[in-house]
Formats: sequence, C-alpha cells, structure tokens
Amino acid sequence: MATLNNILSQCESLPVLPSTVARLTSMLNREDVEVSEIHEIVRTDDALSMTIMRYANSAQYGARNRVFNLQESLARLGRRHLMQIVLQQQVADLFLDAGEAYGMHRGALWRSAQGGALAAECIARDHGFEDPDLAFVCGLLRDVGKLVLDKHYGSEYMTLVSKHLNTQTSFIEAERAALGFDHAELGAELAVRWGLPVRIVAAIRFHHAPPPPDSDDDDLFSIVHAADMICLWAGLGLGHDGLQYRLADHVRLKLNLSRDVVEGFIAQTVAATKASEELVQGKQNEEKLA
Amino acid sequence: MVPPSAPISSTDAAKTVIGVADMAISSDPNATLITYALGSCIGVTVYDPQVHVGGMLHFMLPSAKLSQEKAENNPAMFGDTGIPLLFKKCYELGAQKERMIVCAAGGAEVMSDNGQFKIGSRNRTLIRKIFWKNNILISADDTGSTISRTMALSMADGSVTIRNKATERMIWPL
Repeated sequence: MATLNNILSQCESLPVLPSTVARLTSMLNREDVEVSEIHEIVRTDDALSMTIMRYANSAQYGARNRVFNLQESLARLGRRHLMQIVLQQQVADLFLDAGEAYGMHRGALWRSAQGGALAAECIARDHGFEDPDLAFVCGLLRDVGKLVLDKHYGSEYMTLVSKHLNTQTSFIEAERAALGFDHAELGAELAVRWGLPVRIVAAIRFHHAPPPPDSDDDDLFSIVHAADMICLWAGLGLGHDGLQYRLADHVRLKLNLSRDVVEGFIAQTVAATKASEELVQGKQNEEKLA
Repeated sequence: MVPPSAPISSTDAAKTVIGVADMAISSDPNATLITYALGSCIGVTVYDPQVHVGGMLHFMLPSAKLSQEKAENNPAMFGDTGIPLLFKKCYELGAQKERMIVCAAGGAEVMSDNGQFKIGSRNRTLIRKIFWKNNILISADDTGSTISRTMALSMADGSVTIRNKATERMIWPL
C-alpha cells in the first residue's frame, strides 16, 4: 500500500499553487490590508485585471452607464470582494480539468470548489464566525487532495476504492481502507508543502471528519464540513462517489442546521455559484468592456 | 480522459447540457438533453412522441415556499414551480398532456440522514404528489439510494437513459 508521503513524492508533477494565492492567504489575518497591495499583485496579470473589471462593471455591483478602469474597479470592489475574486480566478486552472479520479465531468470539481467557498462564507456569516474570508478560502481549497489522486491514479481510482464500499461505508472510510488515508488528509499534506497557514491546512484535513466537540475545537472546521455537505445536496461537483458521505451530528447541532436553514444555504449557494460563474467566464458586460 | 462535456447549461450541435436548477425544451429531433450529477436533486423529462417536443428539468428542492424571490428569479430551482413551467413550455410548442411520456431520476440521500433533512425523499414525494394531482402517470423512474446519476433524453424517439458510474441503462422505453 502506497503511503501518503510516497504518493506526494512519486507524483511526477504535483499541482502548483500560484504564488499570488500564497501571498493573498498570508494577508488574510491582517486587518490593515490596503487595496493598493492587492493592486500590486494583480496589475501584471491581464486576465485577472479583465476579470476584476468585469466584476466591477457588472450589474451585480451596481454599474450602470460608465465604465470603470482597473484602478477604479479595485477601489469599487473593496478588499473583501477583491480577495475572493483573485483567489477564485487564480485557482480555477488547478480545478477546471480535474476530477477524473472521481469520475467527474470537466468543470465539476471547479464548480464544487466555488460552491464550497461560497457556502462556507455564507454559513460563517450566518453563524457570526469572526473571519468569513478565511472560511471562503478553506471552502475553495478543501478538495486539493483530489488533484493529487487524479495525477497518481487517474480513472483507476474508483475501481480501487469501490472494492471497499458498501451501503454502510462512507466514501471516506472506503478511501482509508483502500489507501490508508483519505483525500482530505492528502490535501492537507499538499497544503503543508504549499506553505499555507496551519488553520487552512487543518480545515482541509478535517473537512470530512471535524474533531469532536470536546476536543480543541475550531468553528472553522465545522463550517467547512457543513459547506462540503451543502455542495453535495446542491449537486455541485458530484462524482461517482455520489452522496456517500455523512454530516457529523455535532456539527449539525452546533451550527443549528435545521431543514429550512440547510435548504436556505443550498439555494443561496447555487444562486451565488451561478452568478460567480457567469462573471468569471465573462458572459456579462463583454460589449461594455470591448 | 475526463469526458469533454461542459458542465454548465450549454449547447453544441446535438447535445444540450442542463445544469443544476435549470431546464431546456426542444423540438429538434437531432438533439439530446442531458443532465449530470443528479444527487438529491431530481431530473424530470417529458416527451410528446407525436410532435417530437420534449424537455428536461433539473430541480434542487421541493418547494418554492422557501424563497419566493429565488423562485421568481429561477423557477427551475424548485419542483413545485419548475414542473408546471416545464409542461407549459412544451404545450407552447404543441405538446399535449395526454400524450406526454414522463420520466424521473435522482432523489438520492446522503448517509446517516435520520429524518432531519430527507431532501431526496421529499423531492420524490413532491413529484408523485404533483403528478397524481394532475392525473399524470410517471412512465419510468430511477430514484433513491446514495448514488449520482446522469440522465439523457433523446429527442429523436423520447428514449431516456440513466448512467451511474460505468453502467448505463434505458429506463424508457423498456
């Protein structure tokens, strides 16, 4: 059985995190981030600049008749939205063509990443969590372990794990039985190699198995776990693993996840994901910017 | 290789992909309507073989009571607003209720849902209730469990296929 570190070392080309993302995540815990610092990061990237202007000039941000240039767009969107837009755009390339190991069609893992980010932010705000941006980033990156499984096993992965699946076994348990670890643990190790902050690493590690309530608990882990389940219910990024996952009961209780609350999150997440996709893909306002 | 199909609602020469909370209607006999990754969501297909008009809906949640605003912006999000709209749009192209072949797929559940959420089964109940109230029989369905399904409707003959992992089977006609 291959060990987790073996897989990471043997992988011919590990997914590479754009340096922009590392720089931005390091800014997350700073209150004093200036828009000008984000401008420094984005100004040399034409595609990213176009995306930012597309957002700033969209109806969603109240644009009507005039067209805003990059400088104006940055100021208009503000620190929080900028951070989210830049992060999404920067990791899109990692996720767009991935998901083969889980039998996903093209784009499904990317949709799941975006959905997880938006759901985590939404739950974080609803729950009064102190840092919704951090929840957003963790939701976005929670499945990076799947990128490594794609590269190492490709389409053979499902066959390998399916041998350990039955109606009582979650897909996570089957992964552990087949590999000795699951995609969340693998993702966390990749995140360590990427140099991401420890709290993000831990949120990736625990997104299917949040620590029990009496342990050293962090609401972030519960939020990212719940966001992952919201994506499953919403049908964002389902693969051959289907819905073979469990919502931890202590997370349900802690976040007061009633039926109505969950359905509200599902509806909000899908609406926000669709809006975000349209903007990122430039379906809106193309004429205005041409 | 990952199948090169766009996951968002999109159209190529022959295939229209219906995304989550979306629907499409067609009268093109060369077209195939397809939706990926039905989990607890439900895919409903309708087809009138006489005029070759049909459609597909991929709804997420049973009732628009959750949010009238979201239902107005996107009726395909909910079963109780999406299904009537699906039929209405087919009628506009000449389809008639008594000739319609109706199929459904999806409505799966996550594990260990001890009755707290039951989104898949409430979606299943909703479609049965709506069709029963309107004297419509479901010709074929493939629902429940914890699996993800891909559903396709061929506009050439109204055949409906369901794929789960590597297994594909036709549910209509049998």
